[in-house]
Amino acid sequence: MNMEMKKPNEQQTTLEIKNLVIHYISDDEVVKAVNGVNIEIKAGKTLGLVGETGAGKTTTALSILNLVPEPQGKILSGEILLEGRSVLAMSELELEAIRGDKVAMIFQDPMTSLNPVHTVGDQIAESIEIHRKVSKQEALKQAKEMLELVGIPSERSNEYPFQFSGGMKQRVVIAIALTCNPNLLIADEPTTALDVTIQAQVLKLINELRQKYHMSMLMITHDLGIVAEVCDEVSIAYAGRIIEHGTLEDIFDHMRHPYTKGLFDALPDIGARRSELKPVKGLMPDPTNLPSGCPFHPRCDYAMEVCSRSVPENKWLSETHCVECHLYTDTNESML
Amino acid sequence: MSDVLLEVKDLKKYYKVPKGMLHAVDGVSFKLERGKTLGIVGESGCGKTTIGRAILRLVEPTSGSVIFDGVDILKLNKQEMRHMRRNMQLIFQDPFSSLNPRKTITQTIEEPLILSDMIPDPDQRFMRVMELMDTVGLAERLVNTYPHELDGGRRQRIGIARALAMNPKFIICDEPVSALDVSIQAQILNLMKKIQREMGLTYIFITHNLAVVNHFSDDVAVMYLGRMVEKAPSEALFANPMHPYTQALLSAIPVPRIHNRPERLLLRGEITSPINPEPVCRFVNRCNYAIPMCSKEEPRLMEIEPSHFVACHRVGDLQKG
Ligand SMILES: Nc1ncnc2c1ncn2[C@@H]1O[C@H](COP(=O)(O)OP(=O)(O)O)[C@@H](O)[C@H]1O
Ligand SMILES: Nc1ncnc2c1ncn2[C@@H]1O[C@H](COP(=O)(O)OP(=O)(O)O)[C@@H](O)[C@H]1O
Ligand code: SF4
Ligand code: SF4
Ligand SMILES: [Mg+2]
Ligand SMILES: [Mg+2]
Repeated sequence: MNMEMKKPNEQQTTLEIKNLVIHYISDDEVVKAVNGVNIEIKAGKTLGLVGETGAGKTTTALSILNLVPEPQGKILSGEILLEGRSVLAMSELELEAIRGDKVAMIFQDPMTSLNPVHTVGDQIAESIEIHRKVSKQEALKQAKEMLELVGIPSERSNEYPFQFSGGMKQRVVIAIALTCNPNLLIADEPTTALDVTIQAQVLKLINELRQKYHMSMLMITHDLGIVAEVCDEVSIAYAGRIIEHGTLEDIFDHMRHPYTKGLFDALPDIGARRSELKPVKGLMPDPTNLPSGCPFHPRCDYAMEVCSRSVPENKWLSETHCVECHLYTDTNESML
Repeated sequence: MSDVLLEVKDLKKYYKVPKGMLHAVDGVSFKLERGKTLGIVGESGCGKTTIGRAILRLVEPTSGSVIFDGVDILKLNKQEMRHMRRNMQLIFQDPFSSLNPRKTITQTIEEPLILSDMIPDPDQRFMRVMELMDTVGLAERLVNTYPHELDGGRRQRIGIARALAMNPKFIICDEPVSALDVSIQAQILNLMKKIQREMGLTYIFITHNLAVVNHFSDDVAVMYLGRMVEKAPSEALFANPMHPYTQALLSAIPVPRIHNRPERLLLRGEITSPINPEPVCRFVNRCNYAIPMCSKEEPRLMEIEPSHFVACHRVGDLQKG
């Protein structure tokens, strides 16, 4: 029963992650960061990967370019396919060719990707020179165009990152990421450090560029509002597993997993004031000592006896919507 | 007896910086009634933290007055201020950096009680610490744990217990849940509300998260570059924002729903420098409604509707549409 249904859609798949397991292993502990993640992103689509701190989002993202920090980080099993090719089987040389070419990555802190002692124009130009194989002069000219494209006046190309605000630095990072026309853009909390009016500008930019370049995108965020704004599909992560996945409608209108429901309920609603919020009870799980069975069971209002004994399998509820929860095994249809 | 616990009048805090005078808080006035919560919102650098610290005199205000329970506290000497501060406490955003890593939970909560000599007897003091832990929902078995052994939510509970130790009347909460995940954030917000009800506390609640402030506050004040640009009861502010900046700020929030998504008003540009500001509207270079007058004269905060204050030259004609 409940095997992974093959979708009829023949659209090309940009990224497929199957049963990924990544632990950080040191002398005194094992951090079970990623515990069987499945992800699929079709060409041109944006997947939102949503979860709270420690859910394993960044670790999953890093694995796509085989960048999980050594020596503790160990990919114990699973498969990562970029346009059908296995990332884990690639040589370091092949990986280098893919990083910043087919796949670009943006982090929360723009300074992760910027060099403080080079002008922003030079940094964009350098990337253009590498990826577009043009002369230095031509690269500088195109760098100015890229700056304008992300909403920064080209006169500022001779300035250094410290002369830019957080929002502008993040725009520069986006410009650099785009110089290589990536097929996949991985954005790990790209606007979390920005003020909301600046975040709105950057999200608009990302949305426009995504359409213009037909990129696929993995948008990592803890903000369901951002998901509603830029994503096509959503995967909800908890304790290193994808506990629910679906289209925006599936997740926002027909959420099934108790944790997904808890996430929505815990949000203060900007439109309606309530005297009390509905928090998810308890604490985030300790990844060195995960609960048995369903990792959410100590916090779940619907937990049953079976929940602490066995890990719920992935169950497809429709062609687009799947969930990992014992409430949806064959005997218990849609209890929520 | 007046119901006003705190009145702030024309409060200013300027910092001398190499390029000139930085107007961190520039002439802010408001009243706060006993038992109520005033939310202060605005983007980073608009002066929220400075207002809080200036009210508590953790930084010395440049000018203005702060009248707390009938006393102008800017006139108090050190000794008197120390005594007054028992009534006025602060909760920070990052509970971790404000906690001493070498002190256990109990030692941390006990510290203000020892420093103030409020409860000299060690046994009684311990009883009080246990009572405080119970109030904020910290289990008794945690007494001997250290901050690094705890998650962010529990650390913030310690911060709250510490603030409550002196039985204050008033607490300034500076981004108390901004570092917490949503499922934990809701727990802490509910706790803070419950404590407020039970102890009759008055709060200033500082945040950049507008959904949280709407949930939590009776009144909301919006700050921009050191100035208060709008202040109103929460319902009124969210239902009928009048200042162009408030409107843009509210519309910038990504709402977590996929139907009936509101139209977005995008702002151009970014916040300008608070150093040596010209006496004009500080929002003028980003405002979609600016008229020549806006670059000539600074708008004053005026009561446009009962309890709804706005500082904008065009507030009259913009309302008419
Ligand atoms: N280099 C590392 N060494 C050990 N543990 C790590 C390392 N990086 C992350 N972790 C742990 O792995 C878990 C998942 O982390 P992460 O992938 O960063 O989650 P997220 O991005 O969802 O917050 C967390 O418990 C985190 O503390
Ligand atoms: N000690 C200080 N010296 C100089 N400038 C300061 C100091 N503290 C704060 N500022 C400046 O005052 C302004 C307001 O800061 P702050 O009150 O921290 O804003 P917020 O809490 O709204 O982010 C900012 O421009 C900040 O850089
Ligand atoms: S499997 Fe059980 S414990 Fe886990 S979410 Fe479903 S009902 Fe709750
Ligand atoms: S005073 Fe003028 S510039 Fe300032 S907010 Fe009002 S309309 Fe805009
Ligand atoms: Mg992360
Ligand atoms: Mg602050």
